[in-house]
Amino acid sequence: MTVGKLSGTEFFAPVVITEPNREIDGVYIGDLLSWVMGRASSGNAWITIMSNVNILAVASLADTACIILAENVALEQDVIETAKQKNINIISSPVGMYETAVMLSTLL
Amino acid sequence: MKELSLNILDIAENSLKAGALLTEISIIEDDKTLVLTIADDGCGMTQQVLKTAADPFYTTRTTRKVGMGISLLKLEAEMTGGSFNIESRHISDYPQDHGTKVTAKFYKNHIDCIPLGDAVASITTLIQGHPDSDFVFFHKTGDKEVHLDTRELRTVLEGVPLNTYEVIKWIEEYLKDQYK
Repeated sequence: MTVGKLSGTEFFAPVVITEPNREIDGVYIGDLLSWVMGRASSGNAWITIMSNVNILAVASLADTACIILAENVALEQDVIETAKQKNINIISSPVGMYETAVMLSTLL
Repeated sequence: MKELSLNILDIAENSLKAGALLTEISIIEDDKTLVLTIADDGCGMTQQVLKTAADPFYTTRTTRKVGMGISLLKLEAEMTGGSFNIESRHISDYPQDHGTKVTAKFYKNHIDCIPLGDAVASITTLIQGHPDSDFVFFHKTGDKEVHLDTRELRTVLEGVPLNTYEVIKWIEEYLKDQYK
């Protein structure tokens, strides 16, 4: 499934979508950025509750398909602007990381 | 990072890449706070580069477009309610007195404060990997002080490289003994 399609489902909400055609081929969950940086795979949807600007750099480095912010975690406006500049897809999820992953497993 | 000692390794490697001859690592703890300082006499950064140092999308590496070490340390300190500071004097402006100093203050009782981890392993790893550079390590906790200065070791070693197996082992034991 593509990021654009996922963000358009009833469950999820788009935050920043710059590359809607990016294909999601797996999921990684984690909040310790240095850990995620080395372990998330290219094309993963990365579920986290972290919201600082560093998540954009981690997503860029790991080449994830998108960041999924669990539990309706909100981003500061400057983080959103940087995400647009750096072409980082971000989707919001209203529920916790586990429930988000379960939902993804039915959709992907 | 999972442990502060891994941050120490990461930041000190920046110092060595900047050509530091002496890198001073100090950890000062009291009941509530831990202050980590890494100061070097490397080439330093221009004001322009310094401004971008904590930007996670900046790096001196050319292989990737983001460098995270400084950004992560800053985040980790600020997550505990602490603070982060970096100052630098570039060699072009300060030909005699150049270098970079990174300071991070952590509130230890904050729930998001990461553990220090194995500082001895980090220090010995640094010395082993960079036997021609000098390091000062200082860790103060309450009334206990741990101290190492490789310049002092060199005068005793009379030319034996610091990364000789026996020397590294001795340094490791010397540090561990001081923690007892």
